[in-house]
Amino acid sequence: MMNSPKKKPYRYITWQNLLILFTLLFLLISALPNLYGDRVTIQLSPINSSVQQLTTYQLKDLLAKHSLSVDKIHSLNQTTSITLSNKTDLKSINELLFVEFNNDYNIENSVISNSPLWLQSLDAKPIKLGLDLSGGVLFVLEVDTKQALLERFKNIALAIKTLAMEERIRGVNVVQSKLGLSIENYQQNLLVSFPNVEKSKIDLLFNKIKAAYPELSQQKNQNNQVTLSYSSQKTAQYRQETMQQTLKTMRGRIAELGITEAVTLQQGKNYIRIELPGVHDPDEAKRIIGATASLDFYQLAENSTAAGILRMADEHGRAFNLNSQVVFSGSNIKNARAGQDQMSMPLVNLTLDAIGGKKMSQFSKQNIGNTMVTVFSEFYRSADDKMVKKSKIINVATIQQHLGSQFSITHMPSQQAAQELSLLLRAGSLTAPVTIVKQRTIEATLGENNIKNGIKALSIGMGFTLVFMAFWYRALGLIANVALTLNLMSLLGLMSLLPGAVLTLPGIAGLVLTVGMAVDTNVLIFERIKEELKRGHKVLSAVEQGYKSAFSTILDANITTMITGIILYTIGNGPVKGFALILCLGILTSMFTGVFVSKSLTNLVIRKNKAQLLGVNV
Amino acid sequence: MKNLNINKKSKLSVFRLAGCFLAIIFIVIALLGLFNKGLALGLDFTGGYLTEFSTEKSLSQQDMNSLLGNYLPESFKLTSAEQGTHWSVQQADNNASLQDKAWLTHFADKNQLNITPQDAIYIGSQVGEELINQGGLALLTAIIVILMYLSFRFEWRLAAGAVIALFHDVLIVLGIFAWFDIPFDLTILASLLAIVGYSLNDSIIVGDKIREIMKSTNDVTIDEVINQAIKSTLVRTMITSGTTLVTIMAVWGFAGESLAGFSIALFSGILVGTFSSIVIAATVPQLLGLTADYYQQKELEVCPLP
Repeated sequence: MMNSPKKKPYRYITWQNLLILFTLLFLLISALPNLYGDRVTIQLSPINSSVQQLTTYQLKDLLAKHSLSVDKIHSLNQTTSITLSNKTDLKSINELLFVEFNNDYNIENSVISNSPLWLQSLDAKPIKLGLDLSGGVLFVLEVDTKQALLERFKNIALAIKTLAMEERIRGVNVVQSKLGLSIENYQQNLLVSFPNVEKSKIDLLFNKIKAAYPELSQQKNQNNQVTLSYSSQKTAQYRQETMQQTLKTMRGRIAELGITEAVTLQQGKNYIRIELPGVHDPDEAKRIIGATASLDFYQLAENSTAAGILRMADEHGRAFNLNSQVVFSGSNIKNARAGQDQMSMPLVNLTLDAIGGKKMSQFSKQNIGNTMVTVFSEFYRSADDKMVKKSKIINVATIQQHLGSQFSITHMPSQQAAQELSLLLRAGSLTAPVTIVKQRTIEATLGENNIKNGIKALSIGMGFTLVFMAFWYRALGLIANVALTLNLMSLLGLMSLLPGAVLTLPGIAGLVLTVGMAVDTNVLIFERIKEELKRGHKVLSAVEQGYKSAFSTILDANITTMITGIILYTIGNGPVKGFALILCLGILTSMFTGVFVSKSLTNLVIRKNKAQLLGVNV
Repeated sequence: MKNLNINKKSKLSVFRLAGCFLAIIFIVIALLGLFNKGLALGLDFTGGYLTEFSTEKSLSQQDMNSLLGNYLPESFKLTSAEQGTHWSVQQADNNASLQDKAWLTHFADKNQLNITPQDAIYIGSQVGEELINQGGLALLTAIIVILMYLSFRFEWRLAAGAVIALFHDVLIVLGIFAWFDIPFDLTILASLLAIVGYSLNDSIIVGDKIREIMKSTNDVTIDEVINQAIKSTLVRTMITSGTTLVTIMAVWGFAGESLAGFSIALFSGILVGTFSSIVIAATVPQLLGLTADYYQQKELEVCPLP
């Protein structure tokens, strides 16, 4: 044995070790909130001072009568708070309290974390749970952007006719192309023909069209015909704009429903995914989310010069000839509230935005004494799976005065109808019809069960792996086990940190799988160390060499798994996305703990006790 | 195929060659299943309604079937779990409007059953087609990107071995799903992609070893090189596959019914993946004519004599 005389003492505190330690601590703290659960409390506070505060006995009796158990009932100042022992009871207790006390008390629910104050002050949050673990309602909506494009071209065609009329150009004909049957065929065009019109007038008309609709491309055919269409790029842009607008409207509607934790995302080209955790009854949400109501205000045809006539009858059977161009539409409505007039008849008070207000002001000034008609339209899917627009006149009113941005729709059939209409108007109208293509209701009990089962699977898988590694590799196995535990912790910490990360049931499976796979890194290194020992290297250099040469293999093997993980993440959605995310993060953390952490650990251990390491079956 | 000089005396070489033929037979069986029976596509792809509920008392499948048959106007598929207390009813999507949730409570009242709803899914039939396209696209992109990575990192014959092994694994798992009529849904598609990753993982480690041995020694045949590589990675392959398989079994056994298909896919995928990393990924390069001195030659080319 050669003894090198100048053996450098091993420095425990190197910047690498400090960095590793710091990272681990950071991830540990991020993972901590997951250990603590939440508790749900219900607060009851009197509406005004004349109402008596509730006593704890009163509430306890009431709950006991319905065989509901709670953790704590607590009265402080005017407020009484109930802490639930079981989250799944929330719905039934809420219903009970609502029936008993709604008239005199405000009832509020809140979720408070059980974690200690110092942790809360760091703003560390537990991992967000996907719908399959928390329970709730999922909707996937299909947005018919093709229909929206069709409507858009219909309006443009009318506008062109009006333009021609205003310029006193006769003999201009506009024909809209039929909608293609395939889903992918979005192409829409307008065929403008003008057989006997002077060239100068036509040029004027097309210049005007160009100014009004710069996005339309004009293509001259022979025989005095011009085709107007969107380029495929413009079509795609229009579709994306429609999607954005629909997403915004959907978020608005969900906010109107009072659901705060909802997730609303675009999925694929023209789907929208809405997750509503904690919602139990899909029907109410469905009515509001799936509604395609829009409101348009028209004037009568005889009072205007614009082209196009819309014939429609109201519920009394009176026929109206409406000018087919809207004065303004529901998208100009800023606010809508249900109310009552002096005769206590239900009505809806509307406030318009700046554009709508200007239009209304201009229009009403010129049309005092004329009639304005309010049309309510809704899309629905007919028996042969086609989108059909159904419109009805809900209001016919004479303009009494110069109106500004505020006015009302009177003669609503009932208070409830007024409420619902105002909610829909507030939440914004849709330019594209939507249909629900997927709906899922997951009960909270199922979610809780899923978590329990997932944790069971995780502990069994993890337990087996830990025992096996300790048994097979002895001292080195213990290092691997520490690395494995740190890996799981880092993964949980990372999941808690990332704002978009959601844990789903397949995600838990991915977590378990990651545990099984994570040992691979350590096994590769240890086998390499053994090989180096067999070749006659000394322990220290064998360890050094083992970590070094195993690294490129580890990298190769993990990169390919990472590639599939990333592809899965970008294409998948919902639970699958959760699985892909865990897969990718798991690779990162297992490389970090398996290579860097366990190397530092090995260095620490073997310097203290070289003989122990040789317990590896060399 | 000129250097198919498999050493008949080495047990491992014979095993590898036999395994290769076995793999071909497996693939043929899997393809037969896929083309003859086809995949039993799950709700994610076909669309329809799935209602899951649990009953307090356990009932026999026949009883529940006749109760539901009297109540539901259209045909349905009923499956039960947990000794007849957990039920799932699958119906086709043939009415235009959404079915309301109320039927279950109504059904429970009518038959005096104590029913707790668990899960209710509706998927429109028009979604499935897009999903199939997307899933296929994902699988294809994954394979192409991996192929690019591998050909950049490895010699082409080693890369081809890994990719053929990969196709073998995916095909056999698909074959299992076709033969046993296990519903193929989105999570299975996800697990298929995970299998792609893991199958490569094994193949790459063997390939890495082959490359390393080829670089360091120059007086052995390719057959010996491959055998040596397999032997020295065998312990690692067994341990990693073993722990992964055990953890998947834990998911299979304890994480609930909804992950059963997912676990079956991963379990079989990793099992055949381990097998194929030895018999296909390592053997194909040899059949394609990889010679033991490949990396030595390359080094000679790089620095020619003056």
